[in-house]
Amino acid sequence: MLKRIFSFLPIRPEGILTFNLLCYLFFSGTAFAQVKMSTAEATALRTKVKAQAKITTTVSSDFTQYKHLDFLSNDIESKGTLAFKAPDIVKWEYTTPFSYAVLFKDEKLFINDNGAKSDMDLGSNKVFKQLNQLITASIRGDMFDDTAFEINYFIKEDNSLVHFMPKDEQFATFIKAFHISFNAVGEVEEVKMIEPSDDYTQIIFSNRTLNQPLPDAVFSH
Amino acid sequence: MRFFLISLVFLLVGCASYPKKNGFVRVEDSDRPIQNPYFSDTLVDYIYKAKIDVFDKSFGGILVLKKLGPASHRIAFTTEMGNTLFDFSFLNDGFKVNRILKELDRKILINILRKDFTALIREQNSILEQYQKESESLKKATILGKEHYYLYQNNRLAQIVRIGKGTPKVVFLFFEINDNIAQQIKITHYNFKLTIALKAIID
Repeated sequence: MLKRIFSFLPIRPEGILTFNLLCYLFFSGTAFAQVKMSTAEATALRTKVKAQAKITTTVSSDFTQYKHLDFLSNDIESKGTLAFKAPDIVKWEYTTPFSYAVLFKDEKLFINDNGAKSDMDLGSNKVFKQLNQLITASIRGDMFDDTAFEINYFIKEDNSLVHFMPKDEQFATFIKAFHISFNAVGEVEEVKMIEPSDDYTQIIFSNRTLNQPLPDAVFSH
Repeated sequence: MRFFLISLVFLLVGCASYPKKNGFVRVEDSDRPIQNPYFSDTLVDYIYKAKIDVFDKSFGGILVLKKLGPASHRIAFTTEMGNTLFDFSFLNDGFKVNRILKELDRKILINILRKDFTALIREQNSILEQYQKESESLKKATILGKEHYYLYQNNRLAQIVRIGKGTPKVVFLFFEINDNIAQQIKITHYNFKLTIALKAIID
């Protein structure tokens, strides 16, 4: 019995994401006012981001991740590097405060947990396939899929902020909303994944390099 | 006859209590309750990198423990990328599931985690019996109705052992203690293949 329960465990629900009205209320009440975009502005943003995604062959970037759990005194901070190669190879590598890498490649998920390696086939798992596509799309910013998400567009200071609420009920039990911030040229600056409980993971990118050749070794397991 | 005597010795040793088997001698009980200092500070976020080995599977994540008030704790487990797998509240012997991933939502698993975490975080407990062996002391107590022994080495809590039918069923090891924080914790189950290894993440 117990063995059967644990049999699914390598399936790691990275990024399972949901939405509720409170997010809107909370964010609209913060000091940095965000204004809803007009339809024309939203269309312009989509066009800009899609054009940016289209010319993106590689991305390498540093990132800082803040895991917010409401009952903690401080967010849990971790740092690492991200490497992306079109069309769909992604590697997240955490370097502090622990060593952990996750590589999405060839419909598979490879994990290197401080030297302990494992992998799983994504092909057979619908949620993970979706997740993989989503992670890839969110790096490129190109996830403006009205059939998969309810999408809302905002202007926040000099940046654009887009809220994506998954329509798939199963997916929404993992993550209720993605909030993605784009800079003036349409690159992703920040991704926030909000859980149904309103706890969230915020990832802020820095030192981003675009379209520089990345050696294959970067994407080896 | 000799065989009978040997059998008898084995039988007696087999029936001996956990302290006796390990060479401890009963002493007068201390007036002070048992103290587990490792999750006792409400100002500290106890964050651990966790590695869980169960049967032939191995997976990791971040285990977060927080004392919210007297005998009140919150424990959450997330993936490295931040997704919450479970989130439990503990108040005395009480327990509440705030959130659990659908795939993990199995009564048998939740019961194991409840029992293990209740033992891990229980800050005070009454001593039922006390034993001594040189600089080590062993204190018997119950947690959720199960027999447990707290082993102190030089007055520092080193182990909690859950006993079933006179033998260890689950052992909690605390090591690399630094300022009342156990930098490493290992929980080993002996009735089936499950170990949970925790390593503190320093700010």
